[in-house]
Amino acid sequence: MMTDKRFVTPLGNDGIYCLDTAAWRTHRPVMDKDKCVNCGICMSFCPVNSVYFEEGQYLISYDYCKGCGICAVECPKKAIGMKPEGGK
Amino acid sequence: MNYLDVLKSTKNVMTPGSSACQGCGGELITRRVMQIAGENSVYAIPPGCMAGAGVDGWNFSNGCSAPIHITLLDNTASFMSGVSEMYQRRGRTDVNIVAIAGDGATADCGFQSLSGAAERGTKMLYICYDNEGYMNTGYQRSSTTSLGSSTSTTPAGAAINGKEQQQKYLPLIMAMHEVEYCAAASPSNMPDLVRKIQKGLEAGKRGFAYLHVFSPCPTGWKFAPDQSIEVGKKAVASNMFPIWEKENGQFKVTVNRNPISVAEFVKGIGKFSKLTADEIDAIQEMVDRRYQTLLHLAGE
Repeated sequence: MMTDKRFVTPLGNDGIYCLDTAAWRTHRPVMDKDKCVNCGICMSFCPVNSVYFEEGQYLISYDYCKGCGICAVECPKKAIGMKPEGGK
Repeated sequence: MNYLDVLKSTKNVMTPGSSACQGCGGELITRRVMQIAGENSVYAIPPGCMAGAGVDGWNFSNGCSAPIHITLLDNTASFMSGVSEMYQRRGRTDVNIVAIAGDGATADCGFQSLSGAAERGTKMLYICYDNEGYMNTGYQRSSTTSLGSSTSTTPAGAAINGKEQQQKYLPLIMAMHEVEYCAAASPSNMPDLVRKIQKGLEAGKRGFAYLHVFSPCPTGWKFAPDQSIEVGKKAVASNMFPIWEKENGQFKVTVNRNPISVAEFVKGIGKFSKLTADEIDAIQEMVDRRYQTLLHLAGE
């Protein structure tokens, strides 16, 4: 069951009705917090709004991230790397 | 307020699991518009990528936390004219009336109703995400497709070498309707895009506001999804997509002193892979002429 209070989607009898776009991902963006300067550019360019701001830092949510890699290309500090998803 | 603070503090109105492709420019634009316009808005999305991706609900999945309607391909602006008029008569001037349409539903099929609504000065904001084709049905050519693009209806091959006509420059046509606010923006320049959406929403309370946004399409144009923003940056840098606005009758162009060449822009984009040197020259000539026209209008 996918539940996430940051997002709003229709509620059905059996929970939230929503596509599981995280299943599309072949590579996952991983943020290196040592290099990150919290500029927020990844958040501004994320087409899926998967980067969020919490307690003074930007974090990546993997609930719906499609793994497009825009954040890794646009990061001015190259703090985001695309790591292959492990097989099932 | 800084644009990052705006994006940080606003609520995600659109569904999280939309079926737009990886790296979709249209999805990025739609999310930013909906974040800034918020829930106190009425949206219309005609058939196209964003409707197909389930922004307005699809197969009992997905949805939107604000009123949204899927209009017909050709009546988005006239549909919203009625909605806007109803809200004005009820004194609900606080509601944002927003249409988010692709270039097919704006420049081709929906142009008649759009032109009518703009001329009447209907109080609304109309946003066109321009991905230069009918992407939702597999990239057929539209009137905003650029010269030499290999599409499914103008495939580059033995008979023709991609689209044979130059693209139609819609934002300037809309500016000539003497609308309240008209602007061209690109998601690669996010502070500018956020500012223009805010201005457009505000102007949409006084009259007709039009926003033309460049929307790189990795699937249709055939480039890697992670290059979406880079393609947008190159389009602006080469003046393929100049960014400007018209407010109170005055044109304001974001001046680009050292443009890169069109040959630089088309590099790495699959739909342009068969371009000949003559075609690149023809596009370059059109781009330069269009940019000079804009500078002249702005009095630069």
